[in-house]
Amino acid sequence: MPTKNAADERISKFKNKGKDPAKLREKRITECVELRKAQKNECFLKRRNITLSSLPDEEALSPDTDTVDFRIEDIIADVNDGSVEAQTRGCQAARKLLSKGRDPPLKEIVDAGLLSRFVSFLSMDDEPALQFEAAWAVTNIASGTSWHTQQVVEHGAVPALIKLLASPMLHISEQAVWALGNIAGDGPAYRDILIECNVIPALLAHISPDTPVGYLRNLTWTLSNLCRNKNPYPPVSAVQQLLPPLIQLFHLSDKHILCDACWAISYLTDGSNDRIDVIVKTGIVPRLVELMSHEEFCVLTPALRAIGNIVSGSDLHTQTTIDAGVLNVLPKLLRHKKATVQKEATWALSNIAAGHCKQIQQLITCGLLPPLVEVLRNGDFKTQREAVWTVTNFTSGGTAEQVVQLVQSGALEAIINLLQVKDAKVILIILEAINNMFTAAEKLGETEKLSLLIEELGGLERIEMLQNHENDVVYQATQNMIEKYFNSDVDGVQVDSTPNAFLFQTSDGQNTFKF
Amino acid sequence: MSMSQTTEPSNDEPTVTEEAKMTSPEKKEKKADDVPEEEEEEEEYVVEKVLNRRVVKGKVEYLLKWKGFSNEDNTWEPEENLDCPDLIAEYLQSQKTAHEGKRKGSGDADGDESKSKKKKDDNEKLRGFARGLEPERIIGATDSTGELMFLMKWRNSDEADLVPAKEANVKCPQVVISFYEERLTWHSYPSEDEKKDDKN
Repeated sequence: MPTKNAADERISKFKNKGKDPAKLREKRITECVELRKAQKNECFLKRRNITLSSLPDEEALSPDTDTVDFRIEDIIADVNDGSVEAQTRGCQAARKLLSKGRDPPLKEIVDAGLLSRFVSFLSMDDEPALQFEAAWAVTNIASGTSWHTQQVVEHGAVPALIKLLASPMLHISEQAVWALGNIAGDGPAYRDILIECNVIPALLAHISPDTPVGYLRNLTWTLSNLCRNKNPYPPVSAVQQLLPPLIQLFHLSDKHILCDACWAISYLTDGSNDRIDVIVKTGIVPRLVELMSHEEFCVLTPALRAIGNIVSGSDLHTQTTIDAGVLNVLPKLLRHKKATVQKEATWALSNIAAGHCKQIQQLITCGLLPPLVEVLRNGDFKTQREAVWTVTNFTSGGTAEQVVQLVQSGALEAIINLLQVKDAKVILIILEAINNMFTAAEKLGETEKLSLLIEELGGLERIEMLQNHENDVVYQATQNMIEKYFNSDVDGVQVDSTPNAFLFQTSDGQNTFKF
Repeated sequence: MSMSQTTEPSNDEPTVTEEAKMTSPEKKEKKADDVPEEEEEEEEYVVEKVLNRRVVKGKVEYLLKWKGFSNEDNTWEPEENLDCPDLIAEYLQSQKTAHEGKRKGSGDADGDESKSKKKKDDNEKLRGFARGLEPERIIGATDSTGELMFLMKWRNSDEADLVPAKEANVKCPQVVISFYEERLTWHSYPSEDEKKDDKN
């Protein structure tokens, strides 16, 4: 028999009966809110998928869709149809085929005779969608081999594309920029044809503060292709037109734009000193040196190439780069993790070392000797070869005192170690460097000391071995050297140590051999 | 401008081989206080040395040191005005040896060079805002990529593609707002109308 308390207890377990209405309401509200929140959270966490056929990822997953859906016969029929709708459909299908990641059917499309239709579509200003598809299709055909590009040009695309540059639709004129870039990039012949068709002013009209970054990227790339290629170089008048806008683009910070702007300058500086002079006079050198330290490899590489080209010019050109601080940047690049960067930096260094002794002095002052010796010892072979040139140029243009400093930095020891390489040319350059060192030693009256030092470093042994080298020139050179500098009787040598002479010493600082 | 072989008041012996000769072979005395102006046709000056070379507007010019004048009076003269091939040759030769050490670019690309031609892919990076199109409206949203993305319909294009919401929020906030506004649903808070809610 339930007691009153037990009954109460039982009733309290019931959901609603006997409860205070206010409390019940509160409970309901709380529960409701919690349910709603839970539902909301569940919704957020749920992955919502939209399947739409125009999603690019979809197409990548089903490559067969392209070939199944777009057959060339259908495209031909559509493109030759009278209605704009069919033409657009056909052109778009062709464009999608031509944009395939792998093996786009460039030749098939050209052989199907579609190019002339595409080119005619380019001028249909009333049908921007059609123009866009045609411009894109033509771009991709022109991106192929020289034959493909030739087909595009011969079907009259160039004037139509240049006209499209003036389209009020940004995406269409941008596509034309791209297509023209492909044509210019084919080689100097088409590049110059484009220039003659006045493409440059039409392109430059689009450089403004409002131009979107993507557009500017394509534009810079196309401009760089107009600067590209030798035999012949771009006409001087074209270069004069291209330089001011290029310099403007250098002030931007987008890495793709900077990358192509630097490549443009690197093409323009790859030639005779006259061409380098034009570039140096624009005052772009400090910015180039700055970009040599850019964090992006794609910017650093062409900036370094451009500077490398500039220092292959006159002493004056080289001095501009030194004044802009190139010697502070080079040590880092000589130690860069990428071998190609080390190589190019060393090549640039070798050309600076080919300057006059004041510039060589700046090399020493700015601490370029230690990293030079490092690459001589540890660099990959191509870098070491450039380093050997550096040493030889240094010994050729440097004063005797500067040569002593070079020896003291360990460079002599390092090049002696390189005498064992197979490359005869490198061996000859090393021998030339050693000869130059002897010339410097002569000025200080220390040739015997240098001979002894070389012997101590194991150099004499290597040089003697080279007398057996298969290459005649090497054999001759080593013979001459031994005759001239290593034949004297060591015992009978009067070592003439003038009190103020700079001393040729071994790099470990031992004064065993005093020169 | 004319130049000819002359004997100068200060020199005892005119040097023979290294003097510039010009069209008019007449010898004239040079006045000591002459200024070497090009316009003064009657004055003739002797080139002592060629110091430099440049190209201006497609024409070659040489920097000349004038005999009997200081370096402050050096002038640039167009190639066609000169007839001192030996001096020019000597200069060019000196340039060669002075810069023998300089080696021009090897040109070996190492594959790092910029592409000479580019194909525009469907799948390539040029998607979304990078295509340079104007946003028209957002027609869908998804977070299947891990990040909230909008499916954007562009003006004058049939092709919609995905753009990150973060980018769209900045570049076309009004378009984003329209999208959200169209999809707002209202939930009423069950305060007075609890009974109605209960029956849900």
